[in-house]
Amino acid sequence: MLALSKAINRPSVSISAVVFAIWLGVMNFSFLEYLQPLGDMYVGLMQMCVLPFLLATIPLAMRSALTSGTGGKIMARIVIWLIVTIAVVSIIAILVPRTIFSVMPLDQSVSSRIGALFGASADGVDIEMALNPDLAVSTGSQQTSGLLAFIPTNIFAALSSNDSLRVIIFAAIFGAGMVVSERRSGISVFGALKHIQAVCIMIFEWFNLLVPMGIIALVAPPIAHLGPDVYAVLAPFVYAFFATSVLLLILPIIVISLRLRLVPAFVFGRILNPLTLAIATRNALICAPVALETLKDEIGTSPEPCDLFIPMGFAVIRFGNIVHFATATLFIGYLMGRPFSVLDLVLVAALSIMASFATIGVAGVAGLAPITAVLRPFGLSYELALPLLVIVDPIAGMIRAMLNVALNMPIPVLASRRRVAEVAMVAAPAE
Amino acid sequence: MCLNGYFAAASCGFLKWRARSIALRICWLFALALILLGITAAISPSRSQELIQRPKDTEAIIARGTIRVAITKFDLPAFHWHTSNGGLRGPEIELVRRIGRLLKVGVEFIDDCPTFDSVIDAVDSGRADIGVSKLSQSPSRILHVRFSEPYLVLRQAFLFNRATIGTQAGGRPPEDVLRTFNGAIGVIAKSAYVGFAERNFPDAQIVEMQTWEDSIEALVNNRVDVLYRDEFEIRRVLKSNPALNVRFGSAAFTDDKSYLSFAICASCVRLQQFINYQIADNRVPFTLSGLLASQAAN
Repeated sequence: MLALSKAINRPSVSISAVVFAIWLGVMNFSFLEYLQPLGDMYVGLMQMCVLPFLLATIPLAMRSALTSGTGGKIMARIVIWLIVTIAVVSIIAILVPRTIFSVMPLDQSVSSRIGALFGASADGVDIEMALNPDLAVSTGSQQTSGLLAFIPTNIFAALSSNDSLRVIIFAAIFGAGMVVSERRSGISVFGALKHIQAVCIMIFEWFNLLVPMGIIALVAPPIAHLGPDVYAVLAPFVYAFFATSVLLLILPIIVISLRLRLVPAFVFGRILNPLTLAIATRNALICAPVALETLKDEIGTSPEPCDLFIPMGFAVIRFGNIVHFATATLFIGYLMGRPFSVLDLVLVAALSIMASFATIGVAGVAGLAPITAVLRPFGLSYELALPLLVIVDPIAGMIRAMLNVALNMPIPVLASRRRVAEVAMVAAPAE
Repeated sequence: MCLNGYFAAASCGFLKWRARSIALRICWLFALALILLGITAAISPSRSQELIQRPKDTEAIIARGTIRVAITKFDLPAFHWHTSNGGLRGPEIELVRRIGRLLKVGVEFIDDCPTFDSVIDAVDSGRADIGVSKLSQSPSRILHVRFSEPYLVLRQAFLFNRATIGTQAGGRPPEDVLRTFNGAIGVIAKSAYVGFAERNFPDAQIVEMQTWEDSIEALVNNRVDVLYRDEFEIRRVLKSNPALNVRFGSAAFTDDKSYLSFAICASCVRLQQFINYQIADNRVPFTLSGLLASQAAN
């Protein structure tokens, strides 16, 4: 089964599936609408074991870090490299779109077509408001905000609502408690957790057999649904976001290759598996088991930083959202004729980073709402931005997930001790 | 002979008495007729006075055989418009014609009103019995004419310059700026929105434009920051010119509405009830989505 899973998940198969899915989408075959349920079923299967896997992996990582005595150093290195990576990503996410928008002057026809697209997608007015809000009836429900939103007050509620961040925080605290308890009493359940982790990985490998089908079923319908006209109308945004994303997808390959002294083509081939899974599922956390397996077993990174960082990083550090928000803000400024000074650009980057944290635990179109915090300080219209972003979100969501996975993966590699990955180097010629 | 003479004398006396009695009765009848005539003559001036002073209502319209309807001389797409042959069409016109049919009178359109307020003036002055032209009820208008129940309720709305409002908001939601707007608001002159703007946005500079087209041009050329009208007209502008969506946004007020009604002469109580009944019974009700989708609106 493992051999079959590895054979099916070869880079050539994954790339072929993506290309085939894009071709099907562009051709807009009528049968594509029937593929969506298959895709949803595939995502459901992949999601099934994510939370059990995290509940097993995070306590094991905590134990590993606390017992080895290097946990503090590793955490410090992870934090440093995380900050560096966020800074580099933010700079690229600002400079590339700004350069593209500066060489693509906005003419009246582009503005008209975008306006028509907006008008067709908007069903009503931009803002519905009460002139006298004191008299308006409030129907909003009370929601927890701030740090309280991350505290797993009820772990069972968090599990049942698929609230991965709270589950991760609980698992980290519980894992630390288990390590201390193990030292005091000598009683340990870490063996059982290792078994659970192995079971989860095995189940992931079974479902990995369905990856090509999942890619086709999940990628082709949204491409067909959007149609080529939308990309033509939103060409400036599409070019900027795609160009930035391609550059940022190349970056981790180069970083990992240099750090572990591997051939870039080999690294690309290895990280393609979690990336294609990200394209299909649009959910970085689902890719965590595959990414961990890739980093530890195939590329040869130290397991400790990987186990410590990847689950938390995939859940919390959303590089894709940073890039998306920064690009979208510059695009709306470009549409509305709003120039950006250097200070403005720094502020756009900083606000995009902060807004990305507001998307934690939020999936889909709802995850676009925090962009309002980036747009409004510059007087840019969230009401204009949102419908346009929603239109292209089926595709933008795939790219965001890819960036979330790809840009988190080099951080444990950079934070780990330099290690010659014998397993990986042996495997390299096979490609 | 003597007996014959006696009988002749008696017969002659009876005849005289009889003739006198008949003459007396005729005199009585004549006197009675004179009294009745006098009474009639006495009361007839007050009745005619009453007929003159009695308030105008359906009776007067039916007696005249025509209901006079004031409308704006400019078209209101999707509501009423002039056809190429000079006729009038539109849902408002159809509703008026239906009212005319049910009253069994003809409909005379007085379509020379240059503004919305002049439609109200035409009804107020008695030149027209009713007025219809997307007329909003407003406190000042209610002092001059009656209004029917609304045949359509629309939210009041803004068409605003996104950049201007965004800059003024300075990071706050645009609602905060719009709610207490103090910039230049464009409204159609002599429309209910002049009063609405004065009431709802006392700190704003209200710029009255002759036509809606002038208002849109003023917004596009940055002479005003927002336009104030009903949701239908705001959405119609963006629908008919989608390119404007990039520069201009729309906001509808959930708690301030335009009640579009017939203006009815101040004394026409029964006519008001009659029109209310027809509005309630209207087989083709006015809806925002229906009006926006209608070909006439585009």
